Amino acid sequence: MTPDKTPPADPAQEHPAECPAPPASADPAACAPKTSRRDFLKAGGTLSLSSLMGAGALMSQSDDARAAAEWAEHFQKNYRLMTDAEKAEARVRLEKRYSMEYGKPVTVDTTGPQPGVLMGYALNIRKCIGCRRCVHACVAENNQSRGTRPGEKIEWIQVLRMERGKFEADKMNHGYPEGLGIQVGGNAYTPAGQVLEGQYHYNPEAVPEQDATYMPIACMQCEKPPCVKVCPVRTTYREADGPVVIDYNWCIGCRMCMGACPYWARRINLTTPVLPKEEMNPVTHYLGNRPRMRGVVEKCHWCLQRTRHDRYPACVEVCPVGARKFGNLLDPESEVSKILERKNVFRLKAELNTFPKFFYFYD
Amino acid sequence: MKKLAIYTLAAALLGSTLYAVSAAEKAAEPAQAAAPAEAAKEPPVCFESRKGASEVTQKEVKPGLPNVKCSPTTGAALWYGDPYDGTVPMGKMPGMEKLPEGHAVVKPRSEKLALMPMCGTACHNGVGPQFNPPTLPKDKRAKPNPTMEAMVPDLANFQHGRGRIWCMDCHHNTKRNMLVDHFGDPVSFDQPQLLCGKCHGDKLRDWRDGIHGKRIGEFTSTGKKRWFTCTECHNPHNVQDGARNRGFVQLQPEPSPQLPKGMKDAKHELLHPIPH
Repeated sequence: MTPDKTPPADPAQEHPAECPAPPASADPAACAPKTSRRDFLKAGGTLSLSSLMGAGALMSQSDDARAAAEWAEHFQKNYRLMTDAEKAEARVRLEKRYSMEYGKPVTVDTTGPQPGVLMGYALNIRKCIGCRRCVHACVAENNQSRGTRPGEKIEWIQVLRMERGKFEADKMNHGYPEGLGIQVGGNAYTPAGQVLEGQYHYNPEAVPEQDATYMPIACMQCEKPPCVKVCPVRTTYREADGPVVIDYNWCIGCRMCMGACPYWARRINLTTPVLPKEEMNPVTHYLGNRPRMRGVVEKCHWCLQRTRHDRYPACVEVCPVGARKFGNLLDPESEVSKILERKNVFRLKAELNTFPKFFYFYD
Repeated sequence: MKKLAIYTLAAALLGSTLYAVSAAEKAAEPAQAAAPAEAAKEPPVCFESRKGASEVTQKEVKPGLPNVKCSPTTGAALWYGDPYDGTVPMGKMPGMEKLPEGHAVVKPRSEKLALMPMCGTACHNGVGPQFNPPTLPKDKRAKPNPTMEAMVPDLANFQHGRGRIWCMDCHHNTKRNMLVDHFGDPVSFDQPQLLCGKCHGDKLRDWRDGIHGKRIGEFTSTGKKRWFTCTECHNPHNVQDGARNRGFVQLQPEPSPQLPKGMKDAKHELLHPIPH
């Protein structure tokens, strides 16, 4: 069954947006009434639907675009296997549904990768002051759940506060073992947090603090992503222009990818996401920030809805110190290419051979 | 008889309480109505990079789409709907000729500097009998000036150049609403990079290539970007304050993430994996 061949079940269903609740005096004939069972059966009889399609239409008949979308989503293919026509239909369906749910015109973009673009990211670790503005910009842009109960608040970027280590004169003789009087190792160094061991919940009056460095981490958009390797339904994959994305409709919520990711970048919607209407960002991408459902995994996708249209990601735009850089790795004039050419760069956990396209650098 | 008296008393008490409550509600009503009206009159203004520099006023670009979202906690700009709000073309910048015309824009800063229009006319016009002979000190040491310090508090504790520069190295001698370059030519306050690059040439080069500093808009190398200039992030009168370790003024951070289920606080994070 191909959705693009499905005949419209009834005319009223097609354009619910054009028919708002009319004033009491308006002619009822001007606006087609909500689907009635009789209308449907009439249409169904003439169109000679198959029994399955009939059942689908009957179910979708129940109330609104939401039910219709859910029904159609059950039969929709993996995004990578969908034809352009199927994508367009899914897009129309979702736009209708989200616009109704959130009470404003919502667009669902399906723009594909642009030729000659390979996205890359760089972060100046020397500059980061740990203000967490990127974290909250990401939430404002990407329609994450923002409730207050456990598991309802999802943030994709984590900022780690790392202590600074130091050598101290009064610990010169704190060696071990002490029993024999022979010092085989020293302890003059007060250890700093090791890699990926730091504080997430720091909350001082003002940042940056004197004795701390900050390390933001999010999805590294690996070239060889372990999360893609383990996904049993192949719903997460690397797009041709770099980012690793998720087709939320095919995610079964098994959380294999969360276990496989060495950067702790993935989050799951354990509860139904809490997304207030007025805070919802109506500019969305199918593989990006469209509202998610319960039980699917989500993560940073470098703001596909922005970057596919050449706009900087939201976190880059709000960083008050300009530590975050984004660009096209294939363009030698781009910011990221210049950084790779000129600065000292490292990748987090490079020994895992995941080949991230997220680079840390310092002046 | 006694019973009746008690009932009457109770009824009277109840009545008076009810009256008091309704009066209080009536009093509260106008106050509540006034609050949203005030909020509607004054849209939130949020600061962009640092407090005291560029700011942006919230407004709607399209229905339901604001030009900026401000943080309710800190008042910082958190999200840009319109990155080019209130910008003008940057003007000529050596080394950036490759950019298409109009693709580099900046937010003009001169209009934000409230005292600027007065400087050159009221006190520092540099012409007239009071400047003949010139009043600038020969030893190039700024004399404490209470009027100036009251207007620009950072001057009392001037921290830039470790005692090796003074006012007239950056500000124009006679045109006080301008800055000055190496040749004594005036430089606009909207293009401080032309001045700062005099000494900080490596930073200027990195800034021009997009490595240092901040840009918003389109990420492609020839795309239209709003460039943040030097003084939008750095306070030139106070760049080497000892209380910081990054060259920026300290900021209040945004709220920390949610604690995992069942966890009361995050004290475990303060324990070292290696005891010492």
